[in-house]
Amino acid sequence: MFQIYLPIAEISVNLVVMLGLGAAVGFLSGMFGVGGGFLLTPFLMLSGIPPAIAVATGANQIVASSVSGTLAHWRRGNVDVRMGAVLIAGGVVGAIIGVFLLKVLREVGQAGLIISLTYVCFLGVIGALMLWESVRAMLRARAGKTVAARKSGQHNWIHGLPLKMRFPRSRLYISAIPPLVIGCVVGLLASFLGVGGGFVMVPAMIYLLRMQTNIVIGTAIFQIIFVTALVTLLHATFNFTLDLVLAFVLVIGGVIGGQFGVRAGQKLRAEQLRALLSLMVLGVAIRILLDLVIRPSDLFSIVPLAGS
Amino acid sequence: MRASVLPLTPLLLALFVTPALAQKKAPVEEEEPPSQETVQSDISTRQISIQSNFTGVEILIFGSIDFSDSRTPGEGTYDVIAVVRGPNEPIVVRKKERVAGIWVNGPAKTYGQVPGFYAVLSSRPIRAIASDKTLKGLGIGLADLDFGRHISDAPEEQAFRSAMIRLKENRNLFQENDDGVKFIGRSLFRANVALPVNVSTGLYTVDVYLFRDGAVVSKSQGSLQVTKAGIEALIYKLAFNHPFIYGLLGVALAVMMGLAGWYAFRRD
Repeated sequence: MFQIYLPIAEISVNLVVMLGLGAAVGFLSGMFGVGGGFLLTPFLMLSGIPPAIAVATGANQIVASSVSGTLAHWRRGNVDVRMGAVLIAGGVVGAIIGVFLLKVLREVGQAGLIISLTYVCFLGVIGALMLWESVRAMLRARAGKTVAARKSGQHNWIHGLPLKMRFPRSRLYISAIPPLVIGCVVGLLASFLGVGGGFVMVPAMIYLLRMQTNIVIGTAIFQIIFVTALVTLLHATFNFTLDLVLAFVLVIGGVIGGQFGVRAGQKLRAEQLRALLSLMVLGVAIRILLDLVIRPSDLFSIVPLAGS
Repeated sequence: MRASVLPLTPLLLALFVTPALAQKKAPVEEEEPPSQETVQSDISTRQISIQSNFTGVEILIFGSIDFSDSRTPGEGTYDVIAVVRGPNEPIVVRKKERVAGIWVNGPAKTYGQVPGFYAVLSSRPIRAIASDKTLKGLGIGLADLDFGRHISDAPEEQAFRSAMIRLKENRNLFQENDDGVKFIGRSLFRANVALPVNVSTGLYTVDVYLFRDGAVVSKSQGSLQVTKAGIEALIYKLAFNHPFIYGLLGVALAVMMGLAGWYAFRRD
């Protein structure tokens, strides 16, 4: 019932399940202000979509959700276009490296392993840090203390770097090197894991670049449009792994789910929201780790020879 | 055994066979040895289109034995084996090994010519129909199939080969059905084959062999074409022939739907 054939993945999936998956991920991304790729791509793999197709198609879905997100932030003036441009420049380099790295890894049969390991490392570390931070914030809020506002103009080692640039929207005068590096890492993750990379970029911009949180989110999501669009294009061109039918179904689900997510997110407090998100991130990390550690039911696997 | 029966045939015909059949057989007897049975077969569908609602398809192979010597149904004089074979493709088989506590892909073996689909349907278990040597020569049966790789008797090599066969069988891409060919009456037979959703496209061959006393007495060949059709074919062709345009289309669609989503639900 409601089966739909995916022409590139060459399998048949349930239309309702895929719409639901898109909607669930869209809901979470709207609620938490994240792209949701770190949930979507693993879930696609679990439902039998080959990893490389899950990555490319996941990236395409994030293009749609980040366009919606950016427009909402743009209206509120939360996008630093100049900072975004520097991040995109770094992202382009990272994305190109990642796409070709994935191609090589697929040929030697280690793509699945490296994708899983990278997921475990990034999601594990970020999830643990976020959980720690949000629990502390919740405890402090309960004790009646207010969270100390970050002092602006505080200097760290970042300010010693050359190539200084002015970012009027963020009211920053810093070296272009850190945003370039952050952009590059995010581009690498996007092409490698099929994620937007918001879960890495947002903390990095807050803690390393000392930008304001609202501008960080608007700028990150702005950068994600361009990086995921490039990743989609590169994967489609060089790896032939974009499934448009699957992407279309996921996008429809995601757009609808996202709107309900935004409304649900407004009813929760920021630290509760972060604690919930961190638990989810850790859950995904543990799930992937278990798959690596537990003895597989079948030690053998077959794939068509790459490049044929 | 068959040779010893032959001199008796005219006598048997005269005694038992209806005049109609005797007349039919008579002209053949003048040119060729008598009772040269032949098999004829066809496929219910010669063209399979994969469209958005494709979940696999069942095809019917049917045929008849002409100049059959068997007089009653279920006599067991003849056996039929049908082999459906899809286009070959190279396959890599990998085995996972435990390294530092995690399971990683270790040794791999490549098989150059693995049929994308392979089904053997027979009226009895194939080993009971003919000798291993005969079956091997005809390429019938998974056990003796040549996958384009020299197979030594090393246990490791055999483990990889049987793992590939097992995995293909799990996906219904390899099938062996001992009971797949059904006789209807004296000379008609039919066989159903289910092609799963993950079949590859291309030209499939259908070979139907007629066996008598362990030897092939007749063979009939047919083919069917599996193609993607409709929008699926369009997407597939675009993705592989013009990947850059296809990628651009994907991005453009996502941007437009993102815009539409924002516009439809905007609240300011």
